[in-house]
Amino acid sequence: MPTPSITLEHYLILGAVLFGIGLFGVLTKKNAIAVLISIELMLCAVNINLLAFNKYITPEAFIGQIFAIFVITVAAAEVGVGLAIIIAIYRNRLNINLEDFDWLKW
Amino acid sequence: MKSLPFLTIILLAPAICAIIMAFIPKEQVNPIKWLAATGTFISLAMSAYLYGVYDTAAGGLQFVERVPWIKDLGVSYFLAVDGISLPMLLLTNMIGFSAVFASWNLESRHREFFILLCLLISGVMGTFIAHDIFIFLLFYEVVVIPIYIMVIIWGSSKRVTKEYAGMKLTIYLLVGSAFLLVGIIALFVKSIPILGEPNMSFAALAQAGNQMSAFDQKWLFALMLIGFGSLISMWPFHSWSPDGYAGAPTAVSMIHAGVLKKIGGYGLIKIALFSLPLGAKFWAPYMAALGIAGVAYAAFAALAQKDLKYIVGYSSVSHMGYVMLAIGTVNVIGINGAVANMFAHGVMAALFFSAIGVIYEKTKTRWIPDLGGLARQMPLLAVSFMLAAFASLGLPGLIGFIPEFTIFIAGFKAFGGFAVIAIGGIVITALYALRAGANTLFGPPREEYNNLRDIRGAELVPLAVLGLVLIAGGLLPSLLFDMVNSGVEPLMNQLDNALKIGGLI
Amino acid sequence: MQMDFSVIIPEIAMVSLGVLVLILGLILPKKSLPRLGWFTSFSLIGILALVVLNWNNVGTVSGGLYLIDQFSQFFKVIFLTAAILVVFGSMAYVDKHLGGQAEYYSILVFSTLGMMVMASANDFITMYLGLELMTISFIVLVCFRRNDSESLEAGMKYVLLAGISSAVLLYGLSLIYGIAGTVLVVEVGMILAVQQSLPLLLVGVVMLVAGLGFKIAAVPFHMWAPDVYQGAPTPITSFLAVGSKMASFAILIRIFVLGMFGVSLSWGILMAILAGVTIIIGNLVAIPQTNIKRLMAYSGIAQAGYILVGMVTASQAGVKAIMFYGFIYIFAVVGVFTAISYYYNLTGSDEIKDYAGLSQRSPLMAATMVVSMLTMAGIPPFAGFVGKFYLFMTVVENYLWLAIIGLIMSMVSVYYYLMVVLVMYRDRPQDSSPIVVSLPVRMTLIFTMLVSVVLGVYPGPLSEIINKAALSFFMH
Repeated sequence: MPTPSITLEHYLILGAVLFGIGLFGVLTKKNAIAVLISIELMLCAVNINLLAFNKYITPEAFIGQIFAIFVITVAAAEVGVGLAIIIAIYRNRLNINLEDFDWLKW
Repeated sequence: MKSLPFLTIILLAPAICAIIMAFIPKEQVNPIKWLAATGTFISLAMSAYLYGVYDTAAGGLQFVERVPWIKDLGVSYFLAVDGISLPMLLLTNMIGFSAVFASWNLESRHREFFILLCLLISGVMGTFIAHDIFIFLLFYEVVVIPIYIMVIIWGSSKRVTKEYAGMKLTIYLLVGSAFLLVGIIALFVKSIPILGEPNMSFAALAQAGNQMSAFDQKWLFALMLIGFGSLISMWPFHSWSPDGYAGAPTAVSMIHAGVLKKIGGYGLIKIALFSLPLGAKFWAPYMAALGIAGVAYAAFAALAQKDLKYIVGYSSVSHMGYVMLAIGTVNVIGINGAVANMFAHGVMAALFFSAIGVIYEKTKTRWIPDLGGLARQMPLLAVSFMLAAFASLGLPGLIGFIPEFTIFIAGFKAFGGFAVIAIGGIVITALYALRAGANTLFGPPREEYNNLRDIRGAELVPLAVLGLVLIAGGLLPSLLFDMVNSGVEPLMNQLDNALKIGGLI
Repeated sequence: MQMDFSVIIPEIAMVSLGVLVLILGLILPKKSLPRLGWFTSFSLIGILALVVLNWNNVGTVSGGLYLIDQFSQFFKVIFLTAAILVVFGSMAYVDKHLGGQAEYYSILVFSTLGMMVMASANDFITMYLGLELMTISFIVLVCFRRNDSESLEAGMKYVLLAGISSAVLLYGLSLIYGIAGTVLVVEVGMILAVQQSLPLLLVGVVMLVAGLGFKIAAVPFHMWAPDVYQGAPTPITSFLAVGSKMASFAILIRIFVLGMFGVSLSWGILMAILAGVTIIIGNLVAIPQTNIKRLMAYSGIAQAGYILVGMVTASQAGVKAIMFYGFIYIFAVVGVFTAISYYYNLTGSDEIKDYAGLSQRSPLMAATMVVSMLTMAGIPPFAGFVGKFYLFMTVVENYLWLAIIGLIMSMVSVYYYLMVVLVMYRDRPQDSSPIVVSLPVRMTLIFTMLVSVVLGVYPGPLSEIINKAALSFFMH
């Protein structure tokens, strides 16, 4: 059993805060890698939610944990592709600043 | 007895010719033209035959072809004609046939032109013979795109560019049709619980519509009024009409003014009026008022024009004002007059536009001050121009007289003094029609036009077909009126019953 | 637990095909690589036939996590058809501009597989996996012209926004999971039907709508679409426009109509507003565009709005309307984009003004573009009219304003389509030599055009099939 002081709400608030930080980073950061990192933060928030819900709502089944593992795996794949593109675009333009990617109208 | 599917043949003859044309090399101009002429002639001949054998004593829907089409919407491929649609079908084919010959001297890109023209004619016919509202809608908008392409390629830029004219025509009518679509979809959706099954035939929707609450009927009718009203160029939704006609090539002007516009009136009568009697009753005075406003406004506007096409364009708005007034009376005489007047105006407007087309083709201008005395050089052209002008001002003995007279009677009975304004409109019509004729055709002949040849050969076809009908319809009005009345009267009797029941509730 | 793998043979075949194409790319000599396009397309036709033949072979796999019903079968038909048409239409383009045929076709197959998984997924995890399989494949495809800066930029934008939207979507899913205690959509539906409406649920719903809104490019989550559409290789743009959109609609329908039927009143109005705004913005912003791909992107945004209309009422009629519209939408989009990419191959330009006189150089291409665009505009006798009729029928009773907005805006959309028509038909070409259209492209063009016309005039049989499929969707 969890200690009485930490409840589901605490985890959810932590998740929400983390998600908010990630979202803020996504919207404000100009560097493509920083944006990728912020997206990872948002996914972390999701994982925290999933695990907390698993523990408090459905402790008998592992649904949330399985879900979280999938999220981590897929996120790794996505970041892999993302980084590959960043490298390619860096070779092409020697720059990964999002504000300069305006060859297409943003 | 299994008879020929006349209506399907009539409907598809031009379309099939259009498809065949697509496979003829585009240098072969003459075969293409004759194919178009053949296709439209088949339709014309067969619809004239139907007109002859239609049993006016029995009335109702005849030559019915009905095949289930889309089950879950209750759509059936339902073609039939009655006393209202048969004259319109005949009119379409007369004008379509004439339009082919009016375009005989086209200069470029013949194949594309005649393909589009034939598709256009098929599309217009479809609206008049479909008795299922879904099929009706299919044809209703089909015509828009060929017209647009024809205007931008073969149109003429005078006061407005052809691109502007084409786009205005298209978007105006499409936005109008959006309201119509909403109205029809709503009517259909509301009819399902009343009928217990989806059914899109006119009769079923009318049956369901008659049972709807007065409030529903009113707003549904309003939506349809905007849709059909903008097609019939009801004031104040008329402004596309003069501009559009001015930019369009002759054949398109003929078909548009001659028949396409009439789809608006036809739809108002056959769909809106008979499906939503309470709505019609409510909006009738407004329709009549808008009609009278259109008559007066457009007549004065026509008076001020110097471009021949604008004169006829405004004149057609004015004539459609009579039709709106007639529909607004909601009685048998008025509706008879409305249908007959649509027929009459179709014939005269098409003849008018074909004559103007010839003038423009030969003199390269439509500007009245630049013209004059053409009657000397081109007497036959003058005949067709003046025939149309006289019919337009309602000269007795020509087709325009009886329908207008009927409308005045009905209007006077229904609205009394107001109708007088509309009668005043005819005086102005006489003024501008005669003045246009006088300044274009009479007066001292101009030297620069001395070497112009009179219309001959293929160019005579519009005059022969349409002029003949103008005179025949004037001398033997019963030919037209018996037919129209056989369609209108039974439907109006149903309508009166519905209004009585509605009144009791 | 006994599992019936026979129902997922098409998926297994897809995986095998993807791997096989990749291996063939390694072992085949370089000069025969272009034939991989033919191989892929015919294999996909075979798989499509497999799906159609197994139409009634329905069932579940993995204890209900993976659901094969006629609804998902139908969506699979949509995806496979789109993939086949895209492969056919893109062979010339790939050989000339991209290279890397094996990777290209293989990844295309995998993205199609992702869509198929999405259509069949009955729980959040499987949905997410399908979605990401599709998305990551698309990211690679979007920046497949890896030496072209625009393509890379499009890929970059797509990967970032796809990541954000996935995160938002997952957050929403995690909240729904927390409330319902299960990730099975059907069970979620049963639990939410009796549950009181919670504020947390509302947050979850908004997150889901936002996340999926990104995928279908609904306003205000649409800003990636024009850039990505413009920068991506043209065949991929068309696949993105149809496949990605319709697959996202498949899970949108699954989650909302099945999973949140009980609270449909609260999200119905949200969808209605989203649809209205999307239709208006998409159509209005399309008007000033000068690049044909951007024009089609905005028109695609508007199309997403129309399809959303079917969601509003959460009814069988709505689902059916979406499926019908989705089916005809493939042919319209693929028709236009095949012509665009072929024209780009010849002239190297996507600017609308360079289409001058196309009708005289290649009547077939011009006619296909006109027919497809008018299908999207919903002008009869083309299939889009029937589709819109079905869509707006569902809302005319309760959301009359939406029907009026939608239909008026679809008439407005005719304006910008006609501007393209104007250029193609009125103007004289600078270079008036006729265009010879290669065989696979010609087949694609004629086929898409025929479908648009035939379904517009005679939609009856298709509509019957879809009715049954939509009914099967509610049978769980």
